[in-house]
Amino acid sequence: MTAQQINKWGLVLFALFTLAAPLILPLFIDAFWVDIYSEMLIWSLLAASVNLLFGYVGLLSFGQALFFGMGMYGVAIGVAKLGLGFWPALGLGIVLSTAMSAFAGALAVRLTWHYFAIITVVFSLIFYFTALSWKPLTGGDDGLSFSMPPMLTWGEDGELSLTDPTVQYYFIITMVGLCYVLMGVILKSPLGWAFRTVRENAMRASLIGLNVYLIRLTAFIVAGFIAGMAGALFAFFGRYASASYMFYHVSGEAVVWAIIGGAGTLLGPVVGTSLLIMLREELSTLWEHYLLLVGVIVILVVVFAPKGIGGLWHGLVNKVAKPAPDAVDAKDGEDRS
Amino acid sequence: MSDATTPILQIDGVEKHFGGLAALGGVNAQVDSGKLTAIIGPNGAGKTTLFNVVTGILPPSTGSIRFMGKDITKSSVHEISRLGLARTLQIKSVFHGMTVRENLWIAAQSREGVFKPFKSAKSCRAANDRADGLLEELELTHLANQEAANLSYGDVALLEIGIALATEPKLLLLDEPICGMGPAETERTVAKIKELAQRIDIVIIEHDIEVVFDISDDIIVMALGTVLARGTPEEISRNAEVRSAYLGDDDA
Amino acid sequence: MELVIALGMNGIVWGLIIALIALGLSIIFGLLDIINIAHGDFFMVGTVLAWAVFEGTGNYWLAFAIVPIIGFGLGALIEYAVIQPIKNAAALSIVATFGLSIILQESVRATYGAAPSRLTAPIETTIPLFGLEYEVYRLFAAFISVVAIIAFFIFLHRTKMGTWMRAVRYDPETATAMGIPARRVYQITFAIGFAMAALGGVVAGPITTVDFQAGVDVLPFCFMAVIIGGLGNLEGTVAAAVMLAFFEGVMASFADPTMARIGSLCLMSLVLLIRPHGIFSGATR
Repeated sequence: MTAQQINKWGLVLFALFTLAAPLILPLFIDAFWVDIYSEMLIWSLLAASVNLLFGYVGLLSFGQALFFGMGMYGVAIGVAKLGLGFWPALGLGIVLSTAMSAFAGALAVRLTWHYFAIITVVFSLIFYFTALSWKPLTGGDDGLSFSMPPMLTWGEDGELSLTDPTVQYYFIITMVGLCYVLMGVILKSPLGWAFRTVRENAMRASLIGLNVYLIRLTAFIVAGFIAGMAGALFAFFGRYASASYMFYHVSGEAVVWAIIGGAGTLLGPVVGTSLLIMLREELSTLWEHYLLLVGVIVILVVVFAPKGIGGLWHGLVNKVAKPAPDAVDAKDGEDRS
Repeated sequence: MSDATTPILQIDGVEKHFGGLAALGGVNAQVDSGKLTAIIGPNGAGKTTLFNVVTGILPPSTGSIRFMGKDITKSSVHEISRLGLARTLQIKSVFHGMTVRENLWIAAQSREGVFKPFKSAKSCRAANDRADGLLEELELTHLANQEAANLSYGDVALLEIGIALATEPKLLLLDEPICGMGPAETERTVAKIKELAQRIDIVIIEHDIEVVFDISDDIIVMALGTVLARGTPEEISRNAEVRSAYLGDDDA
Repeated sequence: MELVIALGMNGIVWGLIIALIALGLSIIFGLLDIINIAHGDFFMVGTVLAWAVFEGTGNYWLAFAIVPIIGFGLGALIEYAVIQPIKNAAALSIVATFGLSIILQESVRATYGAAPSRLTAPIETTIPLFGLEYEVYRLFAAFISVVAIIAFFIFLHRTKMGTWMRAVRYDPETATAMGIPARRVYQITFAIGFAMAALGGVVAGPITTVDFQAGVDVLPFCFMAVIIGGLGNLEGTVAAAVMLAFFEGVMASFADPTMARIGSLCLMSLVLLIRPHGIFSGATR
């Protein structure tokens, strides 16, 4: 098999597993793993938004939790304070986070390198503290809970709601799946290649006539949208929003997930996020100080495998696979770097 | 192609100061269409700074620059590129993590527009064709799927010229294109430049005087941030001032 | 009014301690090009070590001598084990120091415990000052911080290692070519950075809480001082730290302290966007 075929089959298997998870998982392990699996997929979107910026455009954002929080509060405030229904609340969360990313991005992407990382943290801290002190609206430290509005109602008492675990699971994987398809499509488009040129060499990119500022801003807004979707889904998942999810530690965790999974690969963040959340769920009951291990893993990956698990996987696949007859034309969205 | 009477590039009174230091102290120069112009001068004469000012990388402190009759003094780097002015850098600048074909492809696609998030790159025929054409023209087809980071120095230099060509420039600025090359690579690159000069205007910064006198129609001599002389190779070789300042003994 | 004076005074004292810690952050950033997310935890480790020295010997004064030395050693070790291997991947250094931060916090939680505690100051007397009874220890803390900061500047300008550090910061390649052992300079810089944060921890120990999360609050404050003072502008860092702490201290007397923090953060983003070399940058570059 060629490398593309191996990756394609891996993707198919992964998709089939995801579709069948509520049926298969309870056969082998505790049913609560279905919930954890959907939680992993939601969080992987936050890591994916970091990855889109760092892995493809070369901007390390340490403030993606801001947009996660916006999506989250959009939903919670929409339902609990404004009395919105399911879809309008979801829309509010996404619009808020995307608008925030357009605003923050217009300022932040003027900076690069460390300055960019610092200003993204600063922006997220400003809104973290704002959310913390604006108690009537956000609930501050305690957060804001709400009861789930129905997704769809019909007739007398027909309704579809996330209170049904099956509906919730398939709703989440549909939205998460759509986000990954969106990113996959963009990354294979001229825009996706423009992203990579900015990562590789911003000066050369502008010398061939690309507007580097606009490209960075576009990527930042797409990443903000993805992070906002993650936040909105997480709000529905937990029926809850809290300022604590906007703290820079949450952004930092997302960066860690993305790097360990492999920056610059579309599905690396899913792998990194799943692995670390699994580690948390399994180890935290056995060993109170499992975070020590997480810290050590982070440093080991950065030192010895800076391309993360995605990089290791691609190395392995390319070693096993037969060379493709025409690698350029058949190339999929995965990057090697 | 373009009107021979208006110069393709017109530089008037351009100064560039870094703090108190004048890197360019009032440069007046013009580049005529249909000619290969070379810029020579000792290190620190301001040649590369002039390229940086012309391509919008550095804003000039004063003065104006016109490209094909259009004022580009305040234009940004990508706007200038879109008008048809391409350049290579002294330190070869390509997209290292991308393959040779991807390098050429995105440069070609930049003319078709990159803000097409829902169009597959594979279906962009104009850019595909131009990238493949350039691979053939530059004899890089056998390296098409190699990452640029793995290329030899000479091939990177060639690729950088290819990237510039993919943007379909009217004027191409080459900053020391053969610096650091062995004799065989130099010969290949010089031949390529001569061939290109048949269809596009080229300005080249070069230290190798032999090459300069071989290929150029017009020579601009710079020293200490100003233009010392301009003329045909014959005129320049006869110019006493140039001989003492540059071609002579003192190589500042 | 008395409250305003007291909080203002506390702000200045706290600002001097922060200045000491932030200087460490600033030299690590300036020389090694690393955003040290773990720097707040270096401070926290300092407070915990001070607590340990006090518990072990019953003498808090010993901590002032011992803890910075331990901090120096830890810093040198971490630089060797973690920072050196990733010297060529600046972006990943943030991630590595984030991992370091997790490790430091969790080790402290595992050994010291999760419950915050308070240390009693080695000087418990007060003196009358501006119409209020002010704790002598706080004045002492300010004094120690100032002495340490001055000692650091003397070190930087009057010793061979200090000159090397400035040379490496200015131009690492030329410095290396001139025979300056850049790798050792990096290691010592990182170690000094840790030692300064740890000393800050000892000084601050009795006026704050000993808590494995203490660094989480200190880190943004140090970054604000470094950015507003101007990256690489060490004198600016000191001035900005004192100003910010005074401002937040006074603000806290009549407004929500969170509001003061938001104000500082907004100022910091303005500085980043408009004057990335800091508000004191006139002559510098």
